[in-house]
Amino acid sequence: MTEPLLTVRDLTITYHGHGGSVPAVRGVSFDIEKGGSLGLAGESGCGKSTLANSLLRLLPAGTEVSGEIILGGQDVLSLSPGGLRAVRWTSGAIIFQGALHALNPVQTVGDQIAEPMLVHETTPSQTAAGDRAIELLRRVGLPAARADSYPHQLSGGQRQRVLIAMALACDPHLLIADEPTTALDLMVQAQVLALLDDLKQERDLTLLFITHDLSVLTYACQRLAVMYAGRIVEQGPSWEVFANPSHPYTRALAAAFPTIGDTASRMAPSGLGGDPPTPGSLPEGCPFHPRCPLAEEGCLVSEPELRSSGVERSAACILV
Amino acid sequence: MHPGVTPLVEVEGLHVHFGAARAVDGASLQVAPGEVLALVGESGSGKTTLIRAIQGLQKPTSGEIRVEGESIDTKAKRPIQTIFENPAVQMVFQDPTGALNPRQTIYEIVAEGLRIHGQPEDETDRVAGALSRAGLRPPERFFQMYPHEISGGQRQRVVIAGAMVMQPRLLLADEPVASLDASIRGEILALMRQLVDDTGLAILVVTHDLGLAWNIADRVAVMYLGRIVETGATEQILGDPKHPYTRALLSVVPETREMEQQILTGEIPDPARIPDGCRFHPRCPLLQSGTLVADVSSRCPTEDPGPVAVGATSAAACWAV
Amino acid sequence: MTSIAMKRRRATAGRVWKEFRDSREGMIGLAVLAVFVLLALAAPLLADLRELNPVFARAQGNPQWGSPGEFGPLGTDHIRRSVWAQFVWGSRVSLFVGLAATLLTILIGSVTGIVSGFVGGKADGALMRVTEWFLVIPFLPLAIVLASVLGRSVWNIIFVIGVTSWPSTARLVRAQVLTVKQRLFVDRARSLGASGPHIVAHHILPNVSGLILANATLAVPISILTETTLAFLGLGDPSRASWGKTLEEAFVNGAMVRNAWWYFLPAGLGILAVVLAFTMIGRTLEQIANPRLSRSR
Repeated sequence: MTEPLLTVRDLTITYHGHGGSVPAVRGVSFDIEKGGSLGLAGESGCGKSTLANSLLRLLPAGTEVSGEIILGGQDVLSLSPGGLRAVRWTSGAIIFQGALHALNPVQTVGDQIAEPMLVHETTPSQTAAGDRAIELLRRVGLPAARADSYPHQLSGGQRQRVLIAMALACDPHLLIADEPTTALDLMVQAQVLALLDDLKQERDLTLLFITHDLSVLTYACQRLAVMYAGRIVEQGPSWEVFANPSHPYTRALAAAFPTIGDTASRMAPSGLGGDPPTPGSLPEGCPFHPRCPLAEEGCLVSEPELRSSGVERSAACILV
Repeated sequence: MHPGVTPLVEVEGLHVHFGAARAVDGASLQVAPGEVLALVGESGSGKTTLIRAIQGLQKPTSGEIRVEGESIDTKAKRPIQTIFENPAVQMVFQDPTGALNPRQTIYEIVAEGLRIHGQPEDETDRVAGALSRAGLRPPERFFQMYPHEISGGQRQRVVIAGAMVMQPRLLLADEPVASLDASIRGEILALMRQLVDDTGLAILVVTHDLGLAWNIADRVAVMYLGRIVETGATEQILGDPKHPYTRALLSVVPETREMEQQILTGEIPDPARIPDGCRFHPRCPLLQSGTLVADVSSRCPTEDPGPVAVGATSAAACWAV
Repeated sequence: MTSIAMKRRRATAGRVWKEFRDSREGMIGLAVLAVFVLLALAAPLLADLRELNPVFARAQGNPQWGSPGEFGPLGTDHIRRSVWAQFVWGSRVSLFVGLAATLLTILIGSVTGIVSGFVGGKADGALMRVTEWFLVIPFLPLAIVLASVLGRSVWNIIFVIGVTSWPSTARLVRAQVLTVKQRLFVDRARSLGASGPHIVAHHILPNVSGLILANATLAVPISILTETTLAFLGLGDPSRASWGKTLEEAFVNGAMVRNAWWYFLPAGLGILAVVLAFTMIGRTLEQIANPRLSRSR
């Protein structure tokens, strides 16, 4: 097996605010091999966005981060500011959710795509950067004329494509997509997913895809990891995990989006009681136990570790 | 629907135009008592404008809206009071946090409708009952709380309680679970389905989520660019759709595997520039496949198949069907 | 049920008070204000009202231009009146006019803003034109004209200040009303069948009142300064002592030239202190109402 492009070991991230300390991520470990794709699924408060931002050290100052993040052989957490700037966007780039605030409203879209190139000096001149920006726009399915548009003149789908173009500006090896299709319509979502797939193949990209929609991940990624209360509670090949979940939470998450045509879910919506836990106040033992349909006494004792639940699969549940 | 049964809500030939933009361009639909109709479409389809017109929050340009057989005066200057004054029609909103006044207690929020229509003596009991039926138990615990003290799912339950306390016959829901976490979606949908089973409530739910329709809807109406292009029983629309747009939409739902994906190019056109003939024809995969016979394919760019008629239980606005 | 609602209101008030207590700025402002309010309320105990009468002062044998060492804590003025008495009794007028004028301003401004913002349409247009008219007219000439025409009494001063200051409150309130009107819970109330007055009372007002309170607290110092200005220009109530009047008389009678600092300094510092106190309280209330303004990020 080739050396993984991204290695994360025991990543722990705690926010410190005047409200107290909030452990957003609690000991997460995973690898993504070069050219591979990993999906990270979870709901609000599970820590997935915090994790995504931590990979390029984009968290607010004062956040406590411990563990290891090795990207392309470099230890991201111990890089100097200069080294960090060099890594950002050239080794790894983030595609944020395409809401209006991910783009600068007073800069044209073309300028924004060209900006990383100028910052990292990956093109010889400003004109060259502009040309390459237009090239990227075309590649993501937008006409060259769009380079002079402002973000508010574009639709949600178009803005998302601009963000993808921007992320590709410096030819990164790792693409982190943070909820890229969440606010989009079905058809536009399909278009964007198809585009990401094409780009991935074309440029041999490594992809980390973050979303709350488990079914999207089965389409977009080889492997997936499900997060709950700051930890990974299940991981494995995406289609297998979706079709045959080991962890009760994964089962519930998968069932939340019914398979159309499946008589079992016809007129029978299934969900979980309670609410996703708030990071600051987690229940004792397994954080999922208050909502778990299979909870038993042993679940209150301690938080289960990931244990093998199949070939290349693991789940953090004592029932596995 | 049986003949002789008055539909709870009937919309006929509704138009809502904003200048040149025809957001709703001749839509018709019906909801029978006790039935759940899912109005499905993407953004730009006009589904939100349509339900807002039925809710009385948007003045239509022309067309008729009948609630329980009574026609609403859509030309009235003030918002359509007839619907509002009729407690039989209640609403559930997409954003449960925004729908609750942060300065009102849960009790006041749920009791508000009752108080507007006259102070009943058993107000406390009715509020408690509504909260309880919406899954917030024990209800007394929630009386004094403020919206920011409860979770998103609980807020939506409060909105539902506030609607159900009026003992409505029809619920108009605009994306009721879109802004909620995935794991609690099911519970809210199950609650809505249960209310239908327990009280004979009818629901008109607007959504972009076909899975939701599969979960709770009896019938589905698909909207495209201001018109309803197909309608029918859920099993039929989501099992074997006739209209090419519905087929394409179904094919890209990540949860459907059996169909080959038909990813349409481009996005829904600007409602100010609706294509000639069949409004879907520029993106129609069926037309593009070249498999249609000439006398059908020649009509698509020039002749408008017209909207699906009101009262049609199963129809598709397509020349190839 | 209203008793439970009352309990929650008290709890909210308690929370606001606790946050207020945490703000050093707010507490200092409150303390300073408290001192002056007590001063004003205790005026009869602190200084004899008769001391303001020049005939009485002369009869008492007060010195002219007496310095603080010679007579009382703050000396005497050009017609032998006790400056301390003027300071203490003057505080009443300054505070009273400040508060009353602000009340009038807030009342006219809020009602206009709410009606304008909520009703919209032609009414909004008409009211906004009136508001703009008042805003455009230079304040001082208008105040002078009104004061001259209506006569120089405390009530007229209150009226003048109220009538000229309400437009900015009206615009602020209108903007907030427009924002609140868009919110989904107003749609919900409408869908429940709520009438306009019901929506204004239950939904608009509670979400606008915080802003109005903060605005009011910041409008008081402006009213006080306005009263001072008007009094300084000789338009104040001649029969009552006020800090502005003290400053005017000090100026007109050459206290600056004589270096009789005890005459004009106390009044000036008093105004400064009260204005600052209200400003500090107002800023703290604003920060509590709108946490985004808080510096503790």
